[in-house]
Amino acid sequence: MRASVLRQVVILIGLAFLPAIGQALYFRGHPGWQKRPADSSEVTLAQTKKWGAMVLWVDARPNEEFARGHIPGALALNEDDWNGLLPQVLAAWSPERKLVVYCSRKSCNASHAVAERLRHEAGLKNVDVLPGGWEEWKENAPR
Amino acid sequence: MRLVRLVLAVLVGAIFVYAGVLKVCDPMRFASDISNYALIPWSLGVRVAFYLPWLELIVGLALIFQRFFAGALLLTTASVAVFIGATIWARAHGIDVACGCFGSASSNLTLTWHLVLNGCILAALIVLWWIRNEMGRTSQTST
Repeated sequence: MRASVLRQVVILIGLAFLPAIGQALYFRGHPGWQKRPADSSEVTLAQTKKWGAMVLWVDARPNEEFARGHIPGALALNEDDWNGLLPQVLAAWSPERKLVVYCSRKSCNASHAVAERLRHEAGLKNVDVLPGGWEEWKENAPR
Repeated sequence: MRLVRLVLAVLVGAIFVYAGVLKVCDPMRFASDISNYALIPWSLGVRVAFYLPWLELIVGLALIFQRFFAGALLLTTASVAVFIGATIWARAHGIDVACGCFGSASSNLTLTWHLVLNGCILAALIVLWWIRNEMGRTSQTST
């Protein structure tokens, strides 16, 4: 009985390899195959410094992390409380401002998710992401 | 009992097929979601991203059509347990990732909803295991 279950597992695992290898061969020349492709909407900290007061910071981390510390002037907007927090961002936004979303660190994804929703659901333009997030800002903050 | 088994197997199978198809269509996005967990390097993550969706698709179909059923049940249970474990691990380490379970469709789901959804799938799988054992016991008694 146990052997037949294991045999089925091996067959299913093997079956999945066939189309996966085909698709991988098709994508072999894709630039993302070797390293993670850069997101065109990402901005560097140096760019945001050049923009100065034009930047409207949006903190995509959970409320409790925002309460512990955030970029001065940043507004909280996370997916857990999207409807409650969105109005304050829309009130502060104007077409000439550059909206930069950040989360904890490079590995987090919340900033990309929030930026995507701001672009598609709220219809805002000039929405970028600071990939290094709060961690990068803290490391480079003026002391 | 057979009807419950059929309904649950089709339901869970359809979820796996749906999740697999979404990721098969955009493997680079799934590679990015895997990379956000910071558990494995990009080069390995991108290979997993090309394989795992096909495995989900095939085990989903196996559940729906009741072929290699026990093997598919074992693989789906293991993968859901891994998804739940990785999500909890990431959150415990302060990594606010999107789970990537349903490709672009899951980017608007909060962590709590991901856990609720995966918890429901796991519960359905446990019921399927139980039914399988009961049916096996009944057929042994009757022979």
